[in-house]
Amino acid sequence: MDDSMGEQFDDSDLNITEEVAAPTTQDFGLDDINTSDTEALTASQVIELMESAWLNEKFSPEILPHKTEIVDCLLGQISYMEENLENLESNDFQKSLHQMETYRLRYLVTSYLRIRLEKIEMFNYEILKQEEVREEKNEESYLSAGELQFAKEYKENLEQHFDNVLSFWPGLPPDDWKKEYIKPNLHSFVFLKSKTEIEGVIIDDGNEEDGDLVDFKNGSQMIISYNSVSNLVKKGDVQLI
Amino acid sequence: MFGEKAVELVKEVNRNKDSLSPYNTDLIEQVNKEICGLIEQNMEDANASIAGSSNTAAYIPTVNVRHLSVQRNLRCLLSYHHNRVRCLRNMRWEFGSLLPPEIKSNLSSSEAAWFSSYSTSLAKYMRSIGDDGGVNLGADMKPPKSLYIEVRCLLDYGKHQLGDGTVILLKKNTRYYLPRTDCEELIRLEIFEHLIN
Amino acid sequence: MDPDVLEFLAEKQRVNIIPTINSNVIHLISGDVGPFRAGLPVQVPLWMAVNLKQQQKCKIQAPDWMDVDVLETIKDREKVSRNFIKMPSEHYMVEAKLLLSAAPDDIPRTDEIRTIIKDIWDMRMSKLRASVDSMMKESGSYAAVDNLTIMEINSIRPILPHALDQLYRLKKAARMHGSTQSQNTTTFNSRLTITPFKS
Repeated sequence: MDDSMGEQFDDSDLNITEEVAAPTTQDFGLDDINTSDTEALTASQVIELMESAWLNEKFSPEILPHKTEIVDCLLGQISYMEENLENLESNDFQKSLHQMETYRLRYLVTSYLRIRLEKIEMFNYEILKQEEVREEKNEESYLSAGELQFAKEYKENLEQHFDNVLSFWPGLPPDDWKKEYIKPNLHSFVFLKSKTEIEGVIIDDGNEEDGDLVDFKNGSQMIISYNSVSNLVKKGDVQLI
Repeated sequence: MFGEKAVELVKEVNRNKDSLSPYNTDLIEQVNKEICGLIEQNMEDANASIAGSSNTAAYIPTVNVRHLSVQRNLRCLLSYHHNRVRCLRNMRWEFGSLLPPEIKSNLSSSEAAWFSSYSTSLAKYMRSIGDDGGVNLGADMKPPKSLYIEVRCLLDYGKHQLGDGTVILLKKNTRYYLPRTDCEELIRLEIFEHLIN
Repeated sequence: MDPDVLEFLAEKQRVNIIPTINSNVIHLISGDVGPFRAGLPVQVPLWMAVNLKQQQKCKIQAPDWMDVDVLETIKDREKVSRNFIKMPSEHYMVEAKLLLSAAPDDIPRTDEIRTIIKDIWDMRMSKLRASVDSMMKESGSYAAVDNLTIMEINSIRPILPHALDQLYRLKKAARMHGSTQSQNTTTFNSRLTITPFKS
């Protein structure tokens, strides 16, 4: 498998209509979602951003910066729709379609939040430590306020349980175990699609001091180690797939 | 040999990855005893070495082996408990905050305390999501396929109120075609079986 | 990724239906759909098309590519190309499965379509296996996977990422072995479960 694996497909051959183009690859020019004003987006753009965040979170080994604004905005849309639906007759033709859509969107949001919770539990110590570092440096937190609270409680709860387990120990229970905790494998391999032209991505190939440099074309797809592209994922320049 | 019992614990938890076997109090006590014994012996040797002071070097290999055995035992012990916690966690998502009695009886008291705190934290977190009183992350676990699904009732459940207010009588071995949302919880509680055509 | 998640992703693709009912525009959160006029084609998301078809409220129009002649052309091009050609739909497998099972009466020559799509899939899978094989032999640390569709990518997950990860660890271990002394064996090490990778 090499760089030339892809071959450009000529649409004119097959008379492909526009509608088969996947809308997910569309670029809304919003490269920083955290600071952008989500109210200025249309609902369908919010859904696109949610889908993108969901897939990134699904495939990224580490937890990514939270997207609370998008989550809240979409949940607001769903609730509003659900309230309206209560006024419709249950046999209304449109009602079932609206319901179907709200179920799909609820799945999207809750799945996203569940994936994050799983990481928060699995990599609890590591994530809390990183959050502390970010706080000291005055950087934006990766966890939402609710997630951070949950993470802290999870930690306390687990420590309490392990202290109970080790209470047989003569004298104070050892807390050396707190120094060795589960970390995400940042070097694991991910698939991505580039959303823009990117030059000079450095590959960590575990061999030499300096890895190869690779350029991404807009729309090109790669398998690559996550730590080579983690900043691009967070910036929104590439989409994990 | 030191550490053999502790490895048994790890093997046990590895054999039952998706279910929670009874808390192995006996084996854990034996491991704890081994750890305490090793520590005591090391303390004795350390004291003797301080008192005698002439032959300290001769103690070092033995002390080291005991120390490593303690560490290995601790690691296995924590691995056993951590994996059980992970399993309990999955059960919280599967059954909700009330565990079936046959599972509950397999927990140690500390595990039961962990489970109840976890449930509380989780519920608190779910209430904090959005601007609107929270979101139940235990629902919408699968991508929706259609609004209605076919289910079979596995027991004589009796009256059950649906989301739209109608009340139906659920009988054992009867098939129903119901809105997906009304079924999710009953499927999880194994009152309904989802029939996939 | 579970098959139902793959379907979920594909279901937002848009297809043309011919409704048998009339209805005003539906203001979905994801955008407006309709109006529906009986007999006039209208574009809707795939999930809606399947749903309406189940309620017998529409006929589904196969996407342009879901046609024996078009697919034969794709198959021929896939056969002669060394690389993966771009498929007409990012979700061709799922779309075919959902549409052909929901609306076999609306789409002509469904059996032939199924067979050709299966042939294309098999051809691409065997190319993919060969690519993976050579990537492992060259012990590459990245690769372009242009034009592979989501389902095809999913078929080599997790095996390819795992294999590459193992390869990376071996390389790293070999380098460490050359440069450092044996590890300090007395440090307390109680990783709680098998750690994916320790940096």
